[in-house]
Amino acid sequence: MELTVNGVTRAISSPPLTSLLQVLREELDVLSPKAGCQQGGCGACTVLLDGEPRRGCLVPVAAAEGHEITTVEGLGTPGDLSPIQAAFHQKYAAQCGYCTAGMLMASHALINRNGGREVQREQVIEALSGHICRCTGYVKIVDAVIAASRGDVDVEKEQGLLVAEPSEPAVEPKGAPA
Amino acid sequence: MRASDTELAMPASAAEAVEAFGDGRGVTVFAGGTILMPEITHGRYPTGGRTLMLTRAGLEGITGDGRIEIGAMTRLADVAASGVEPLASAAGDVADPEVRSQATLGGNLCAPPGAESPRGDLQAALLAAGASVRSAGAGGERTDSIDEFLGRAHSEARLVLAVELERPRRAAYLSLRRAHAHSYAVMAVACAELADGIRVAAAGVGPRAVRLAAVERALAGGAAAAQAAGAATDGVTPHDDALASAWYRSQVLPTLVTRALERLQGG
Amino acid sequence: MKAVGARLPRYDGLAHTTGRTVYVDDVRVAGTLVAKALRSPHHHAAITRIDTSKAEKLPGVRAVVTAADVPKNVYGHLEALGVPADEPLLADGEVRYRGQPVAAVAAEDVETAHEAVAAIEIEYEERPALFDIRKGLDPDAPSIHQWGPVYPHFGPYNHRRVRKGDVEWAFEKADVIVEGAYRPAAIEHCPLETQIALVVPEASGRLTVYTCTQAMYFSLGVIAAHLQVPLNRVKLIGGTVGGGFGGKVDTAAETITCLLALKAHRPVKWRWTREEEFLASSTRAPWHIEIQDAVSNDGWMLGRRMLTLHDAGAYARFSPYGLTKHGFHHTGAYTIPNVHFDGFVVFTNRVPTTAMRGFGVTSVSMAVELQMTRIAETLGLSPWELRLKNANRIGDTTANRVVMQDPSTVPVTLAAAERVGERLGPEYTAMTPARRSGELLPEHLAAQQAPEGAHVLSNGGRS
Repeated sequence: MELTVNGVTRAISSPPLTSLLQVLREELDVLSPKAGCQQGGCGACTVLLDGEPRRGCLVPVAAAEGHEITTVEGLGTPGDLSPIQAAFHQKYAAQCGYCTAGMLMASHALINRNGGREVQREQVIEALSGHICRCTGYVKIVDAVIAASRGDVDVEKEQGLLVAEPSEPAVEPKGAPA
Repeated sequence: MRASDTELAMPASAAEAVEAFGDGRGVTVFAGGTILMPEITHGRYPTGGRTLMLTRAGLEGITGDGRIEIGAMTRLADVAASGVEPLASAAGDVADPEVRSQATLGGNLCAPPGAESPRGDLQAALLAAGASVRSAGAGGERTDSIDEFLGRAHSEARLVLAVELERPRRAAYLSLRRAHAHSYAVMAVACAELADGIRVAAAGVGPRAVRLAAVERALAGGAAAAQAAGAATDGVTPHDDALASAWYRSQVLPTLVTRALERLQGG
Repeated sequence: MKAVGARLPRYDGLAHTTGRTVYVDDVRVAGTLVAKALRSPHHHAAITRIDTSKAEKLPGVRAVVTAADVPKNVYGHLEALGVPADEPLLADGEVRYRGQPVAAVAAEDVETAHEAVAAIEIEYEERPALFDIRKGLDPDAPSIHQWGPVYPHFGPYNHRRVRKGDVEWAFEKADVIVEGAYRPAAIEHCPLETQIALVVPEASGRLTVYTCTQAMYFSLGVIAAHLQVPLNRVKLIGGTVGGGFGGKVDTAAETITCLLALKAHRPVKWRWTREEEFLASSTRAPWHIEIQDAVSNDGWMLGRRMLTLHDAGAYARFSPYGLTKHGFHHTGAYTIPNVHFDGFVVFTNRVPTTAMRGFGVTSVSMAVELQMTRIAETLGLSPWELRLKNANRIGDTTANRVVMQDPSTVPVTLAAAERVGERLGPEYTAMTPARRSGELLPEHLAAQQAPEGAHVLSNGGRS
């Protein structure tokens, strides 16, 4: 079998009923999708099949052959972030990071489906309803998706943020000199 | 136990699928895979048999207007978008958008009862809608009522090709779920008004969905929703599982039936 | 201080959003074997026979370990602090909770590992199990722990005690006694990253352990103690954790993976399935909390009697520590001069319980705040004003005789009232945490108040 991942087609040797997640991680070393539950319940392994979000753990690789698979590695890199990645970074939507890749792929697909219009909060909640985050409480994630759909994110600025630099205080520090 | 031990067939047409299925002995039918893939991953897949993967068999699609045919491999997302009630509401209630884009009507209909939670959310909707099931297997192709099909599901291997139904005059679907949890519905009630009266069915009160015959009789006799729902637990034997206790189910079922009937009559 | 109040990017944000963060499951070491465990299907049983020979002979199986392979099988997480140990790393002759690891295998692939687990021959003799802490002290309760029904090592006592003042006086003097029982349930932490370890046996003889532990030095000590090796033989690499919330302080996967790696002379990775995580990883403890409060009609809290049963599950782990914190906070953010607290760590045949976000304190805070509202409802008083009246003040002493230096109950309660638009009387809105005086210092609170400048009151309460 052959599998096309992030634009590159490679021969694979895993048996046809192996999960796409297993093939991506263990055979192709594409590591952004995570094995959070391996039973379709958490969304940490979500990747795009021809642009549509699918659970990597529920798709047998035989059914993925012939489709274009996209993972976070294909969205953008630290020097070349996609808007949704920049929004997640800028809006603090990633905490421990384990759910982030799946969230990003489902959100990216939602924004594309929505054809450039601003996505509504209810749409985000529906699109991410199968994605579990145990850290953030979801508010920052939903905010980030809406911001990305609105173009309300400074991708250029996010490129240089590997090193923490103090920016303008969001709140006046307690006891700060006037 | 090894997924690599199974012999895989990927038929390219319905005819090929029927031939490959044969009498169904030793065959595991792989539809959307949302139930089977975790079994493979966790080493619980049937060993030594054949797997019939229907992905490319062309069994998907919704056709017809008055009498509607829904192919077995139609994805729940497409059923949800079809407007065919109460199936559409039931399908839209399953899991989340990504699972619904992969799970199929046929797979949902044939899902064996889960050990820890109910499965087959659409069975109640199909029962209420008075659907028929077209299937292949030993003795060839035939069409059964959904009641007959579910009644024999545990004893006979059939390859579901399509489900057929008349669009009900009115229909309603209501499920009980745990808040904020991505889980199987604890219970679901579907009801539909057909030419010959109102049919009511419940899922999550036993291994497979069941008609609530006593409720239907009460309705036929002119009873109001709440009064008819008083008979909801007649002939029903709810079970304990990871989601809820039998006691809880028997307490809540009448309320769920009442609300579903009120929704039917209000809409 | 440039960072204080500033909005800084997360140091790991770019790595997370580009999929480049390396969690334990993402570490790649050539030749890594897959581990799987044989876990108890019973809540409580004797192991009457175990035979791993067939599993060991399967092609592709590189190691099988049981209790017999562990240099020091029973070691406690708090043993270094003087808390005795009760829990075996691998069950030895008895299983006390469903999902308890009995044996583990390392194999070339996951399917062989599954087959090896299935090939281990084991026989059990089921024993009666206990699940309800309220029944743990019954005379006919099943015997489930060698220490008896409760953890017995709180100094000379078998329970944690807090005594202050004269609680008998408070209950004689009370206008009303308000009772409440509160039962917070177990909670699974459910981190998206399940328990995982990757252990590489180095040529030098050291073990490199890639770990998701939240407690690196605890885990280092626990691993080295079980293996009976010096600390410098074990090197932990951790810090990147896919969610923990307290559920990764117990060193769940690391030590058994070390044993397998040592026996196989190969790198071994053990990643728990989600089912294992739910079945066998520790949870937040369920609790049973009973409170009796002696109160006056005008809303003074004169005294509290409290009984807490903390469900340890099958083994003690950190539960005595959690219960101690619970007892420390049993009056909440309020000043109650006369208290009598008894807390028991009760054993059951549930999975051992552990820390989770405010270990031992979230449960007591929930109970105390519900109880405060219940008192207000019973007396027909405003729940806000009841709280403000009894709030900790500078100079008040806690049940543990710590003198309050800067208590935040008053400003926090006022801020909350303002946020929700609650209108309070002027005598309440003007409140500050200042030392009690005048009407806020009735006779029954005089003795517990520390002299100005004191940090600890040696004999609080009503003298």
